[in-house]
Amino acid sequence: MATVEPQTKRKRISKKNKSAWRKTDIQDVEQFLEDQRQEERIGTFKDKLDDDLFVLDTSTQKVKASLLTPKQKRKLNAKKAMRTHQVFENTSKVQDPIAKRNKVRQKQNGRNIELEVCNPTKPRHRQANADRARYNEKLEERLAVKQDSDKKHKIDKDIWQEEDFRDKIPGLKDEKGWISRPLALHVAFNLQGHKVVKTHGSLHHKTTKAKKFVPPHPGMSYNPSHKAHQELIDQVVDREEGIIKKEQHLKRVTTSMFSIVTPEERDRLRLKEMSEGIDEPETTEKEKNKANGDDDDDNDAGQKQKTVDSDGEYHTVNAPVENKKKSKKARRNELKQKELQRQHDVKKKLKQQTADLIRIKSIRAEINEEAEELNELKKRRKKTAERKKFEPKRLGRHKYEEPDADVNMPEDLAGNLRNVKTESNLLKDRFKLMQRNNMLAPSVAVSRKKSKVKRFLRGSHKEPGVSFQDLRDRRKAAANAAKANNNTIKI
Amino acid sequence: MRRPKKYESGEATQYISRRAALRRLQLSLNDFRRLCILKGVYPREPKHRRRAQKGSSEIKILYHAKDIRFLLHESIVWTLRDYKIFAKKSGRDRAIKDFRNLKRRLALFPEIKLDHIVKERYPTFIDALKDLDDCLTLLFLFSTFPSLHLIPREQSALCRRLTIEFLHYVIASKSLRKVFISIKGYYFQAEIKGQKVTWIVPHYYPFKPQSRQDVDFKVMSIFVEFYTIMLGFVNFRLFHGLNLAYPPQFPSSVLQDNSETLQDESSFVSDRIAALNFELLRTDKLMEDEEELDIDMELLEQDGDSKRIIKMKQEAQEVARLRTLFKGLKFFINREVPREPLIILIRSFGGKVSWDASVFAGATFDESDETITHQIVDRPSLSTQYISRDYIQPQWVFDCINQRQLLPTNKYFMGEQLPPHLSPFVDSKRETYIPPEEKALHDPSLIETHVQSDDDDDDSDAEADNQEEEEIEQQLLDAQLQRAYQQETAEYKKYGGTDGVNEDEEDSVDDDDEEDEEEEEEEDVEQLDDKTKRLLEEKQKMKVESGKVHKVNKRQIRKAEVDEHRLQARMVKPRHRNLFRKLIREKQTKEKEEWLLRKKRRNIDADAKEAKKTAKREAKKAAAEAAAKALKMA
Repeated sequence: MATVEPQTKRKRISKKNKSAWRKTDIQDVEQFLEDQRQEERIGTFKDKLDDDLFVLDTSTQKVKASLLTPKQKRKLNAKKAMRTHQVFENTSKVQDPIAKRNKVRQKQNGRNIELEVCNPTKPRHRQANADRARYNEKLEERLAVKQDSDKKHKIDKDIWQEEDFRDKIPGLKDEKGWISRPLALHVAFNLQGHKVVKTHGSLHHKTTKAKKFVPPHPGMSYNPSHKAHQELIDQVVDREEGIIKKEQHLKRVTTSMFSIVTPEERDRLRLKEMSEGIDEPETTEKEKNKANGDDDDDNDAGQKQKTVDSDGEYHTVNAPVENKKKSKKARRNELKQKELQRQHDVKKKLKQQTADLIRIKSIRAEINEEAEELNELKKRRKKTAERKKFEPKRLGRHKYEEPDADVNMPEDLAGNLRNVKTESNLLKDRFKLMQRNNMLAPSVAVSRKKSKVKRFLRGSHKEPGVSFQDLRDRRKAAANAAKANNNTIKI
Repeated sequence: MRRPKKYESGEATQYISRRAALRRLQLSLNDFRRLCILKGVYPREPKHRRRAQKGSSEIKILYHAKDIRFLLHESIVWTLRDYKIFAKKSGRDRAIKDFRNLKRRLALFPEIKLDHIVKERYPTFIDALKDLDDCLTLLFLFSTFPSLHLIPREQSALCRRLTIEFLHYVIASKSLRKVFISIKGYYFQAEIKGQKVTWIVPHYYPFKPQSRQDVDFKVMSIFVEFYTIMLGFVNFRLFHGLNLAYPPQFPSSVLQDNSETLQDESSFVSDRIAALNFELLRTDKLMEDEEELDIDMELLEQDGDSKRIIKMKQEAQEVARLRTLFKGLKFFINREVPREPLIILIRSFGGKVSWDASVFAGATFDESDETITHQIVDRPSLSTQYISRDYIQPQWVFDCINQRQLLPTNKYFMGEQLPPHLSPFVDSKRETYIPPEEKALHDPSLIETHVQSDDDDDDSDAEADNQEEEEIEQQLLDAQLQRAYQQETAEYKKYGGTDGVNEDEEDSVDDDDEEDEEEEEEEDVEQLDDKTKRLLEEKQKMKVESGKVHKVNKRQIRKAEVDEHRLQARMVKPRHRNLFRKLIREKQTKEKEEWLLRKKRRNIDADAKEAKKTAKREAKKAAAEAAAKALKMA
């Protein structure tokens, strides 16, 4: 076979004259002919024996390439001397007659601070020492202060006592009002770092109208009256029933809406669904043959989707676009029709208006009805807005969920304080309360996924070894034996 | 003029997302959370979420832009940044094992200071008191925690200390008002400076493990961090308001020098303080009590007598009585009873209390003390009992306080089936139908009558009538006897008075002496004639007349009520007219409901009584027939 040349774009060359014929590229033809001739001279691979073609490799095995990673290689290379420094290496076998001659002093890496501290030689060393002493002194002071304040959670002042910051700084307060409050503030800030930041009002705004303290239901008493307890249980049951109803509804609407199929059936259906529209090559060919055998015209008309016909011609899926021009007459007609339609509409509208004059009463009633409806809507909206003021706000992605009510089942009621069965988690209760009061955005705890650890017994585990347990057992056994021996001797 | 762009003004600029806030403040999410909780800045819900989120409709956590700008000024932001630096530097020191430097750094750990934030969040003391509910409940809860992950031991110890201090205040000020044992814990309600402060104390049981799924411990710990500071300042102010020394100390009389106290004074003192059983050291010498109350009452009297004022007066009287409810009583708490809640209750209403010395330090008297009036027991029986005291169950104390009077103890004796423990947070005087059973629970006097009437029901009516007649006869007899006796004595006096000696000469010497005295008196009488006469006349005039029943003119009262109501209706402003009408309608429906229910009950009761009667009659008949038969047989 001829070698496949990389396809290049053929250049169009005029071949008008005979001399132009030489420009024709006949290299491939010549190459082919040359190959043929060579084959005739030497023969093909098929004619040759295996021994002529292959040689037994008897050389020693090569060393395997190292399995070092590039990083490791780099590290190893770093240990070697640099290529530029290799020249300086003394490769001579002759020993240096004067061993002390070329002693190189290693330059110290960094300063020897200890030396500088102990016997300062330069002025900057002395300066540094003085600085260090001063710093240490300050540090001691700070530590002392901190330890004093640290000792206890110390509270020694009444923060709600009314006091004027101007009292602290002499000269700031004057009765005549020469020094305005802003000026006093400015001076105080500059003198003592006394900064006054105004808190804006919205910080203290209540975001919910719900009461902070929700009194406990009387049925939550450790020894409730029968009526109160039943009321509470009824409440809980109602809530639970609501939840169950909702769940059932969701199940009916989603899960049970679909028929149940076996896994095989499901897979088959899926395969069928996913392969919709893709014709398997074999079946299409068969169909084609059939169609060819029966009638060609029908096949062509019916199978629009086919892209390649038996002839190899290309057909698009959609019909080719035609540029159909409207004639002038058609345009004129269209315009005329439009104008006629418009006139008809206007006429109709006029007629409607005259008819409405008679209908004024009913129209008024309609309008009134509409207004009433709107009013109703307004009222309802106002009501919901009012209700929403008592409900927790939507602060984050998750909705606030009312916690379950705490209730003791009738069989758990002990009737005395000693055997009270506590039902609730107070911490959770507080957490929920904070969410209800819009202090925290409701959230769902996200636990970090633990990586799956594959556990298996190590082979060595099965081998006999000595553990502390073993040792202790042995010791005990020995002691027992000794005791028994003693006993026997005694007896 | 430049054309305004979308989201450059209005709601979009009022709100800022959390992410943007973080970028603005240059803090990590954890630090930001902490800062927000400490400063009381909470996320907000915008009116139009899409506008506030610049077109995106997913639900983000938004803050007021103003709030975040306000946080920028906060000085603890710098401390939080210092934390970050500290963590980095100390981490480096640890990694290179420079322990000298590490130690120095650890000693200089940047402390966060929250004093100014307390003042900023609660500009007045009353504001702080209003927000004390959450604070107290959380701290009481945390004081029961051991050291947990994210909750250091120091924090729970601090919570314990602060809550004990607060309880000392409650006891000293006698401000407790309502208590309730629920399955959640003990509810306490105190009235401090006119604010109702309610908190829950968990039941005293061994620590229950908390699941980490439900609650974000870190967040709660931060809340507690702030609340500890706040409660510290509140305690300081409260203690100083009562002239108590803060931190709490004992007067020197309590601290006697013995081997125990000398060994470790601080732990001894802290134990006694935790016992809640001693008076604390006062900064002044005087003990002033209930003066304020009197002043209040006088002020109230000046005002007109409207319903509200009367109600307030009643309330004040009740509270005054409540404050000395247990005065003079001596309690002993048995081992199985939770000690702390009962001590708070008993001590804050003037009772004396002690417990087994082996349970907790600070017991003041022994179980064998004969002056103990009540022993609180929560077990079915006790081997050694004293006659001098009542053995009651703990619920008695709680119910007494809720009803503001000492209840009869017989229903609460040891091993007795307890009456239900009602919630004090439900108003017992509410304007709805209250079944007689519940009424009886609130009013102990009704219980007795109820029991008696039950007994009457058991007997047949005829028997009851007989009994009544017998009683009347007995009374008549008694009266006659008394009259006779009086006549006799009168005659005797007459004779003694007029004749003197001639009655009996064989009388004893004593009689003679008496007669002598009488003679002397006679002489005196003669001397002071006019006076005695007048006195005698007055004496004769002095008598108890049978009172007339004040007849209530119902019609007039009704008329007055209607008039008043009309006046009220006229006074209502036009814009409140609808509300007024609504209120009245509600009241009417409520009354109607109540009336209906009462009627129903009456019918039911009557039916039940009738049925009982007929049953009894039949039983009697049957018995009579059986007896007749038996006679016949015999």
